[in-house]
Amino acid sequence: MLEALTNVAGLLAQELISPTAAAALAVGLATIGAGMAERSIGAAAMGAIAEDEDLFGQGLILTVIPETLVILALVTIFVV
Amino acid sequence: MTNRSANYEYVVARVRHRRASLFAEEDYRKLLGMGLGGIARFMEESPYQAEINDLGARYSGVQLIEYALNRNLARAFDDLLRFSEGELYELVARYLRKFDAWNLKTVLRGRFSDAEDEEIEENLIDAGELEPEFLDRLIAAPDIEAIVEIIEETTFGDAVVEAYPDYEETGLLTPLENAIDRAYYEGLLEDQIPDEGPMALYAEFLRTEIDFRNVRNVLRIVRSGAEIDPREYFIEGGQLFDSEEIAQLATDQDQLITHLRESRYGKHLGPAIDSLDAEANLTQFERALDEALLSFADRLSHVYPLSVCPVLAYILAKEREVDNIRAIAHGKETGLDRSTIENELVML
Repeated sequence: MLEALTNVAGLLAQELISPTAAAALAVGLATIGAGMAERSIGAAAMGAIAEDEDLFGQGLILTVIPETLVILALVTIFVV
Repeated sequence: MTNRSANYEYVVARVRHRRASLFAEEDYRKLLGMGLGGIARFMEESPYQAEINDLGARYSGVQLIEYALNRNLARAFDDLLRFSEGELYELVARYLRKFDAWNLKTVLRGRFSDAEDEEIEENLIDAGELEPEFLDRLIAAPDIEAIVEIIEETTFGDAVVEAYPDYEETGLLTPLENAIDRAYYEGLLEDQIPDEGPMALYAEFLRTEIDFRNVRNVLRIVRSGAEIDPREYFIEGGQLFDSEEIAQLATDQDQLITHLRESRYGKHLGPAIDSLDAEANLTQFERALDEALLSFADRLSHVYPLSVCPVLAYILAKEREVDNIRAIAHGKETGLDRSTIENELVML
């Protein structure tokens, strides 16, 4: 994966892909990362809620925290 | 189920919640001040509610508590198996085979002592891998030989069949019971386990449990002064001693204590080993062994939060709770005074 990223960075340096395409990639990759994090947290939150329904609120908040990654990544769209 | 990946996050979250709602020290203190009826009522307002309500109409007093505890334990561990998937399921199921071993031994003992079928059935804990129908077949078997034939179908089969001639020769159940215990413990570590990461610590935990079991057996043999070869009781897989060493140490308690003190467990068991020097009573020492094992499991579950370790720690803690309540109930029934029960109890 790292190698692929370096390739992309190399292409970008040679201006072979446009900045907008690179920004789109950045958002996409950030989303994959957030998805991976939410998978684990969501599973744990479901476990906790199954034991005690009062934990629903906390579970929900903890599950969406990695979502901030995507929001930050969205910034790149406006920067380029 | 092996083709699915393990769902550690889900199971660990549930297990941690359950661990937190086990009885705390002050609950035990309340229980100690109650009579049998009070204990049953207290349990009715705890996670034992369903079992107490189910059994309340049929039983009372210490029997009600005993059966409710067994049933609740079975339900708790069945839940664990129901939640887990993939690798985690394998590991948990393998550990819970200890209840299969318990059930097989219970049936053998019941048949040996000519107990009623119903009585045997009530003492089984339906938490292991063996299906209720299988256990029913075991109970229905007319004699020990028939039971051994049925056991042959399980993972305990080879060991039990091997021990059967010994049973016929001596007329004692001990060889069969030993065979079952050994098959269980040796089955725990049968696969090659990697040398690092959570699995390595899991293996180390199991080895510690085997070591403690060995220490307990040897001490009991030494204390009883009976002419028993400790090698027959020795369980392979531990790190503390091998079967030759154990035979030698069993003849001399001081030497055994020195060996323990110098071993890797010396640091954790220090005070317990001291008490062994002075007192004639093994209870304190065995309690210390249990406590050391539980705190080891707790430590592992903090080092590797997403592994099988928190589940093992929960299994141990739950068993401990059930043992504690059982000890209180039986103590109350036989009319022991509060401080005696408290001393014999394994507190958390």
